[in-house]
Amino acid sequence: MTPHWQAAWQAIVHHPLFGFAITLGAYQLALAAYEKTRWMLLQPVLVSVLILVGVLLICGIDYDEYRRSTTLLSLFLGPATVALAVPLYLNLRRIRQLLWPILLSLTAGGLLATASVAALAWSLGIERTLAMTLLPKSVTSPIAMLVAEQIGGVAPLAAVFVLITGMLGAILGPECLRRLGVVHPAAQGLALGLSAHAVGTARALQEGEECGAFAAMAMSLMGVATAVLLPLAVALVA
Amino acid sequence: MLLRGLTWLVLFQLLGTGLNVLLLPMLPGPIIGLLLLFGALLARGGVDDALSLAAGNLLRYLPLLLIPPAVGVMVYAEAIRAEFWALLGALVLPLLLAFFGTGLLMQKLIERQARRRSAP
Repeated sequence: MTPHWQAAWQAIVHHPLFGFAITLGAYQLALAAYEKTRWMLLQPVLVSVLILVGVLLICGIDYDEYRRSTTLLSLFLGPATVALAVPLYLNLRRIRQLLWPILLSLTAGGLLATASVAALAWSLGIERTLAMTLLPKSVTSPIAMLVAEQIGGVAPLAAVFVLITGMLGAILGPECLRRLGVVHPAAQGLALGLSAHAVGTARALQEGEECGAFAAMAMSLMGVATAVLLPLAVALVA
Repeated sequence: MLLRGLTWLVLFQLLGTGLNVLLLPMLPGPIIGLLLLFGALLARGGVDDALSLAAGNLLRYLPLLLIPPAVGVMVYAEAIRAEFWALLGALVLPLLLAFFGTGLLMQKLIERQARRRSAP
């Protein structure tokens, strides 16, 4: 009797836990590479995505199947978002002390983030649907997807732009900010959370509790403001 | 301990989902859950150990949780390639502006506030 190599391989690759397993593996590999080299470009999320896309293409698994086999992970994204309330609360005193700087920076930064996308999309001649998909790219993906749909963009593509933005922000990270003289953890956290949402917040949490708390705050305020104001602004302009 | 904290987090997320359908269709459930939990912590005046343990553990793995949705990039490879340079410009330049703009402004404002407080 010949061993059924092919059948065994197919059973492994299409097992509902396969996506989960390769995601855990890729993440640990990426994390180890980052910790060893400390290169800004080797952001764990980015490297994991590259490894995983490669593995999925080689094994002939489409994204739908992969997404189904990682439900275990994506289900926890909701509670993890809720959990951001804890560092936020623990740093409440620091946040209160810096209330005016925070409000000013967030308003200016938020307007800058959204208006510059609109200006660039218009001047680069990006077509309307794609431009509407780009507009909410600075906010966390569930909000961005909802908002993109409301203003006439493509929801899943919005999630992609959100994640690319987040990964770029995490690559720049606190290192680049320090080089420009932005040394206060509150200022670094605010910049990361406002422009790079959850990926930036995850990066900020690695930096420290205070940096993470300010990032979480910037992310949630930017998210809420975008969800409420961007559809109104688009309706007014159009 | 861990389970009790996790239960609270999941309950707040579910509460958020309910409110999202009932009252606030423009805010996703988890964000409403975040605001509700923040309100509850303010009202109680403290974070209990179980909650802080669960939140800390979950947040440590936040980057891992973000990977599956990020892999979705592969589905749109074609659409992205078609307008690659314009998209790159529209993604990167605003990010640089917002990122460094917000950071620099906040740093300057913090320094100004510190100077004012130390001045007699």
